[in-house]
Amino acid sequence: METATTPNRLSRNLIVLVTFGVLIFVAGAMLPAAFFTWLWDRMNVFATVFLGIFVEAVPYLILGTLASGLVEVFLDRDQMSKWVLGRPAAAAVSGAFMGMIFPVCECGVVPLTRRLFHKGLPLSAGISFLLAAPVLNPIVVFSTAAAFGWGEMLAWRFGLSFFIAVVTGLIFSVEKEAVNVLRPALSLHDHEHTHADVNDSFLEKIRKALMITVDEFFEMGRYLILGTVLAASLQTFIPQSALLAVGSGPILSVLIMLGLAVLLSICSTVDSFIALGFVGTFSFGSILSFLVFGPMVDIKSVMMYLQVFKRRSVFYIIAIPFMLSLLSGLLFNYLSP
Amino acid sequence: MPSRMIRSFQGLLLLGLSIFFASKAANGQLTWYINARFIPLTIFGIIMLAILAQTVFTEIKRSRQRALAGEHDHDHAPAPSSLWFMLVPLLVGVLIPARPLDSSAFATKGFNTNAPLVSADSSALLFETDSEERNVLDWIKLFNYEEDVTQFIGQKASVIGFVYFNEDLSKNQFFVSRFVVSCCAADGFAIAMAAEWDDAATLQQDSWVLVKGTIEAITIDDRRVPMIVAESVQEVPVPSQPYLYP
Repeated sequence: METATTPNRLSRNLIVLVTFGVLIFVAGAMLPAAFFTWLWDRMNVFATVFLGIFVEAVPYLILGTLASGLVEVFLDRDQMSKWVLGRPAAAAVSGAFMGMIFPVCECGVVPLTRRLFHKGLPLSAGISFLLAAPVLNPIVVFSTAAAFGWGEMLAWRFGLSFFIAVVTGLIFSVEKEAVNVLRPALSLHDHEHTHADVNDSFLEKIRKALMITVDEFFEMGRYLILGTVLAASLQTFIPQSALLAVGSGPILSVLIMLGLAVLLSICSTVDSFIALGFVGTFSFGSILSFLVFGPMVDIKSVMMYLQVFKRRSVFYIIAIPFMLSLLSGLLFNYLSP
Repeated sequence: MPSRMIRSFQGLLLLGLSIFFASKAANGQLTWYINARFIPLTIFGIIMLAILAQTVFTEIKRSRQRALAGEHDHDHAPAPSSLWFMLVPLLVGVLIPARPLDSSAFATKGFNTNAPLVSADSSALLFETDSEERNVLDWIKLFNYEEDVTQFIGQKASVIGFVYFNEDLSKNQFFVSRFVVSCCAADGFAIAMAAEWDDAATLQQDSWVLVKGTIEAITIDDRRVPMIVAESVQEVPVPSQPYLYP
């Protein structure tokens, strides 16, 4: 945990730092002043976009980690196994619907899923919960209905998200050992012995739940911040028009909308309003794939997945929904042009 | 770092974030980052962060008491490396002066003089509103969904936005622009309505103006878009809600 900083290493770091400083100064002196105005403008856009996503995401992250803390303290392993059915298919289906009980978006779902795994939730149920909960929850139902009405888009969005989540969950159920899928999480063991005691008073339990919330907020928060920095930088330096100009063919348009879903990293509770802006420019199929894929995979959620799952599993969590969203987008484009 | 020091750092970061958000809420700058309808959620965040900070500080106190009593300390603080990241939003917020999205974001976000923004039926309501009550977004929606835009020509208009000059327009013209934000600044996209004014050259790029005049229709990129022939253009401070909400 602690790194011994010897004086030797410190002075070496100092030399590197000074050299960098001099290099930046020399480079700066050679650049035209216009570059700095440009850079300053970019920095301002970056700061606004970065803080925009961050301010928006923090309450959701707190909700998710709070839910995780409360689950840890108030939910027994035995209760869990009573709820969840043994057969993988049934587990995957019930997992996909659990979002209706825990209304979390993609920032909050990751810590909560990890906690539920720790409580003995089967892999198939956990994975389908992870992918479906950001869409299959009451808040998103209403926001999608507000944007598109109670019609086809709503039905297909929820149907497809459910289908993809269950399929991915089932594929994961082939793996019997959770150890092969999940990364060992240090913070979970930290609380092993401060585990909720039956004798603990209610207030004491709440206090424990809040301490878990704190630790997970920081643990997941750093991946949220990494993802947000990345998303904000992309938005600051890569013109969206470049992406939109690439093409509008039946295949490219779906790919572009999928790319946009990842790039924009918008919270699933509001992404339908964004999608609305693309109606007219993009086909039904490509917008649908945006609405289905975006909540499952975006820059900040991938960062958080990497913290919970082994790298190979993250690949499948991204690749399976990607292929299925792409396929359904294409089917819609070809069948109902 | 010893466990108790890490905990203190953690508590301070939580408190810092809470105060940072609270100061943004107090000076009204939250609307520079998010859609106003999410402000209650941020208030919840501010309260929760303060409660979490308080929990951490209590934990430190208890751990100190336990240590004095000679008990084994149960608290396992997290690795300090995960804490440094939380400094990033605080540093970005403090070091880079806050500024709502403006024309410098056009380079990557682009801007539209027409955009199919909201389902067509909601534009019906716009006919009811007084023409001088309509904002830039309302005018663009109306021109987008109505086949016959001549009915709007000559109507009185009064819109607020920031100035944007662009080669598409002649010297006595400029754009009155606004960003439209559904959720947060990340999804913001710019819309713009042309304006014509003889003294346009005296205006500064990105300065906020209140433009009053009458509506005219012009053609940009083969589309009929609204233009406001200004009778007066007045510099105004940044509005309390710089973005429009769809």
